[in-house]
Amino acid sequence: MKIRYFATLRDVTHKTEEDCAPGAVTVGDLLRDLVGRYGHTFEQLVLENGKLRFALVLVNGQDVREQQGLQTPLAPDDTVVMIPPVGGG
Amino acid sequence: MGKMLMIQADKCTGCHNCALACSMTHEQSFRLPAARLHVYTWEREGFSVPMMCQHCSDAPCIPVCTPHAMTRDPVTGWVTLDQAKCIGCKMCVLACPFGNAAWDAVSNKILKCDYCGGDPACATFCPTHAIEWVDDVVATRARKRAFAAKFKMAFAE
Amino acid sequence: MHGWIGTILRVNLTTGSVSREPLDPAMAKAYIGARGLGTKVLFDEVDARVDPLAPENKLIFVSGPLTGTYAPSGGRYEVVTKGALTGAIAAANSGGTWGPALKYAGYDLVILEGKAAHPVYLWIKDGAAELRNATHLWGKTVPDTTDAVRAETDEDAKVACIGPAGEHQVLFACIMNDMHRSAGRSGVGAVMGSKNLKAIAVVGGGTVTCADTDAFASAVMQVREKILAHPVGGTGLRLYGTDVLVNILNQIGGHPTRNFQDGYFPTADKIGGESLSAKVLQRPKGCFACIISCGRVTKVSHPKYAGEGEGPEYETAWGFGSDCGVDDLDAVTKANYYCNEYGLDTITMGATVACAMELYERGLITPKDTGGLALEFGNAEAMVEATRLTAQGDGFGQKLALGSYRLAAAYGHPELSMTVKKQEMPAYDPRAIQGIGLNYATANCGAAHVRGYTISPEVLGTPIKVNKDAIEGKPELVIQFQNLTAALDASGACLFTTFGIGADELAALLSAATGVEYSTADFLKCGDRIWNLERLFNLKAGLNAKDDSLPPRILEEPLKSGASKGSVSRFPEMLPTYYQLRGWDAAGVPTPAKLQALGLVAERAVSGSLA
Repeated sequence: MKIRYFATLRDVTHKTEEDCAPGAVTVGDLLRDLVGRYGHTFEQLVLENGKLRFALVLVNGQDVREQQGLQTPLAPDDTVVMIPPVGGG
Repeated sequence: MGKMLMIQADKCTGCHNCALACSMTHEQSFRLPAARLHVYTWEREGFSVPMMCQHCSDAPCIPVCTPHAMTRDPVTGWVTLDQAKCIGCKMCVLACPFGNAAWDAVSNKILKCDYCGGDPACATFCPTHAIEWVDDVVATRARKRAFAAKFKMAFAE
Repeated sequence: MHGWIGTILRVNLTTGSVSREPLDPAMAKAYIGARGLGTKVLFDEVDARVDPLAPENKLIFVSGPLTGTYAPSGGRYEVVTKGALTGAIAAANSGGTWGPALKYAGYDLVILEGKAAHPVYLWIKDGAAELRNATHLWGKTVPDTTDAVRAETDEDAKVACIGPAGEHQVLFACIMNDMHRSAGRSGVGAVMGSKNLKAIAVVGGGTVTCADTDAFASAVMQVREKILAHPVGGTGLRLYGTDVLVNILNQIGGHPTRNFQDGYFPTADKIGGESLSAKVLQRPKGCFACIISCGRVTKVSHPKYAGEGEGPEYETAWGFGSDCGVDDLDAVTKANYYCNEYGLDTITMGATVACAMELYERGLITPKDTGGLALEFGNAEAMVEATRLTAQGDGFGQKLALGSYRLAAAYGHPELSMTVKKQEMPAYDPRAIQGIGLNYATANCGAAHVRGYTISPEVLGTPIKVNKDAIEGKPELVIQFQNLTAALDASGACLFTTFGIGADELAALLSAATGVEYSTADFLKCGDRIWNLERLFNLKAGLNAKDDSLPPRILEEPLKSGASKGSVSRFPEMLPTYYQLRGWDAAGVPTPAKLQALGLVAERAVSGSLA
């Protein structure tokens, strides 16, 4: 599974992308793993009180807020894009 | 230990929220010449900085004030203007090397920052912390630390 | 009056006369200010069939009642006229500090009529206004004009001006203020140039008052908190600027690439906000009373494209970047600087170069036409050179100066111009995002994103996430955004306050500032009124339902790659519902009942027979 980071997530993870060992079954699982690895700042950028709100999390280009949110299933060869809520205009 | 207004000019965006807040606080309307501080902008360089009375320890405006309207408050240490005693001679305007005392022809008075009595509106309204109301002991520490961090980065393996 | 100053300045450039008039409180109440008031004055005083570049067109600069107060990010003004590029109503919005300065100088509005016999500039100081000779300023860039005008007026004067592009009446020339801020679209700068008006300098020590100071201060504190609490307006835009949108739109497959031939640009990251912050950003900048600070003070050190100024914004980085297949940030920034210095709309400029590149790719434009310039997608140098030529009025730049519609039409292929009402679509692909396409097609000024920025719900998910590919509910959504935005523009507030607040808060600010009671419904009704008046102007100007359209590519050619691959715009399915919900007939004409409800009965008569 490939994960791509944008904006402030790049500052927190010090990466633009990384390969992730397939293990997470849902988007929520994946985020739990990543928060465990990158800490509270990471969590604050993606979740609001544990929920997805303004951040963009895309699985193969599709916004998970259009799917099952944190329950959206993940497959081993998926690409996940994460963009914190930083932009508009 | 007292407080001071710390200006970090590189954080100033030129938005004038400080001057607007000052005008509103003192005159309940929006008139930039009524502000006790002014923001200077250089458009080509994209640089702005707010300027206000620095409440100097050795303030030139105090000795030139013959009616003793300009004095130092013994408790706070601030340079304080008593409008009731002021005769409008404008000697303070001439004396301040920074230009931070001003004569306002509309309200017919000397305008000088008074720290809003201890809760400066400019610091409250500044959106980027270019103006902060800080303890005058630790005031420079944040800047020192920020610069020291550059050394850390330079020497990092 | 409170909020408003209550005075209009009227300048007849033909006769040189300058006069003052009171602002009618009833008109101010119904139209609020800025875009609203400007539209009303233009509608009343100009026959919509006029040639935009003829002396009979009028140019109106107008601030809002919040402009000059500390309403957060509330310092904007509007330039309203009949657009040179579009032949439709034009309302170009700008920030900086010029709008507040106009109010401190004693005026809500300046109406410029006729044409001066030789170049002039208008100088306004504390209510006194005079026209001065500008022959020695003609030909100067925007920065040089600003400095020169200040040197002969007042060092604190704020200057709005045109550059050489406006002087040459490039159809998409803009008006610049504060050296780097733009009243950008529809060729408002060409109109200013056609009047031989080089600049307007303003300064004053006047006062803007509030009706209820305590209520206003309290409303402002609440609005500040809400905007600062929202991640976009509170943090994100200050860190990255609007250019952070490059990667966002690219990842959802809605980032138009190579003249809208696709919606995904593989190397877009190189011109996005992350790269901008790392490579060219000096510091953020804020407009008057702004708490968001999305402005970018930048500098390019690379000798080939060296320069400094402000920007690029998202639309600019897209137009000169992805739309041209270019991923060189320095080159994109340099093209942006040319536009600011010479006074050109960056969206139309970039999109016109992109259109020219497609015509070149197809062999319709040849190296002979371009004077040897290899206008190929991806050729950064050619993109910058094409921009410079247009800015300076040289060579092939003279053809580009017509904008993409007239350029493509001249080469026999108007369908290759990605425009609506002859104005270029901005940086969001309607095939990937259904609602924005409906907005582009129906915006009265021509294709424009800011008229109804449904990107917020459809892509960003704020205030709530709406499915970007769905068409159900989109007509309602687009109308809601269009009406709110029209009223917001009229108040003097910045669109970016909507990351955090909405109509409730804006109505409360307006009421406390002006003393006129605006409920949320009143506020939105003003927006609806403004929208319909713009529509009436356009109908009289000769535009109609067939101009509410999207280019064939957007309707028929599916996106080839990226996350929205395979999609087209379903705009035709949405338009009938849009008209219906707007209270218009099937031909897109406001019905008598609708106009009655908005108090526009007299205006309908002026519009003539519309059925």
